[in-house]
Amino acid sequence: MMRRSFKIFGLVLMVAALVPLAAGPLGAQAENLGQQGLGRAYWHVFLAYAIAWVFIFGWIVSIARRLGRLERSLQNQDG
Amino acid sequence: MYKRTGWIGPAMALLGVALSVLVLWMVFFWVPTETNQGVIQRIFYMHVPAAWVAFMAFGVVAFASAVYLWLGDERADMAAVAAAEGGIIFTGVVLLTGPLWGKIAWGTYWTWEPRLTLTLLLFFIYVGYFMVRAATENPEKGKRFAAVVGIVGALDIPLIHVSVLWFRSLHPEPVVLKAEGPTLHPDMLTTLLMGFLSFTVLFVGLLILRYGLERAQRELNLRQVAG
Repeated sequence: MMRRSFKIFGLVLMVAALVPLAAGPLGAQAENLGQQGLGRAYWHVFLAYAIAWVFIFGWIVSIARRLGRLERSLQNQDG
Repeated sequence: MYKRTGWIGPAMALLGVALSVLVLWMVFFWVPTETNQGVIQRIFYMHVPAAWVAFMAFGVVAFASAVYLWLGDERADMAAVAAAEGGIIFTGVVLLTGPLWGKIAWGTYWTWEPRLTLTLLLFFIYVGYFMVRAATENPEKGKRFAAVVGIVGALDIPLIHVSVLWFRSLHPEPVVLKAEGPTLHPDMLTTLLMGFLSFTVLFVGLLILRYGLERAQRELNLRQVAG
């Protein structure tokens, strides 16, 4: 159980570490200012909402699955 | 099925999802496009409510952790665990959607400016909350150590709020929580408030479900120890 928790949080840490690492040098990125088309902005908006809902539904599914499993274990013990 | 959680949690979660669908409709079909930033500003209606829910969740962790340290009540510890998990989820949403907005608005996915850095720190503090719990041989000690982390971590929240006022920052200043009142177009404010409502209701519903899960887990553990 403890090892599994560490694995999960190791994965979370890795994903979180990718956020700042995705940033390149600030100077080079500043050159991109004003060169973004409208299509790219739409793509980022849709991607942002998709990410948010993947996270939220992922949490809902995770809670439901764990709860269902525990309910079954407790019912089995009740006989 | 989920007799240990009651009906309020699932009902609130469903209501939260329904309200969120309404917010999606408002964001994509109803609210006017902001003149300076254009369409990318629409991330605002999900990014800011997600941040609000994350702060609320970590506020619950801090309060419940203080109650646990004071009274030793297991229910407070269970509430803290449930809220911390939700807080991490919503902070993850904030940390991933902000860069998508920043890339278009600032030209960069990430910059080590105060608000972004403090928000990333908040995320790591509460990941640490779970690691501290799991890292001790004595579970009771782990709970107490984690409660301290839960309280100390919440001190980061007011710092995140005032960081854009105290330090030079790329991040925009607050547009709602201002002394002179909100400076948003009324339709934008309505959409934002609906975003706050939908995510808050959804979070409270899921918090109740997650609390029920934690209670069931501990009940099973107790039975296994006793049996």
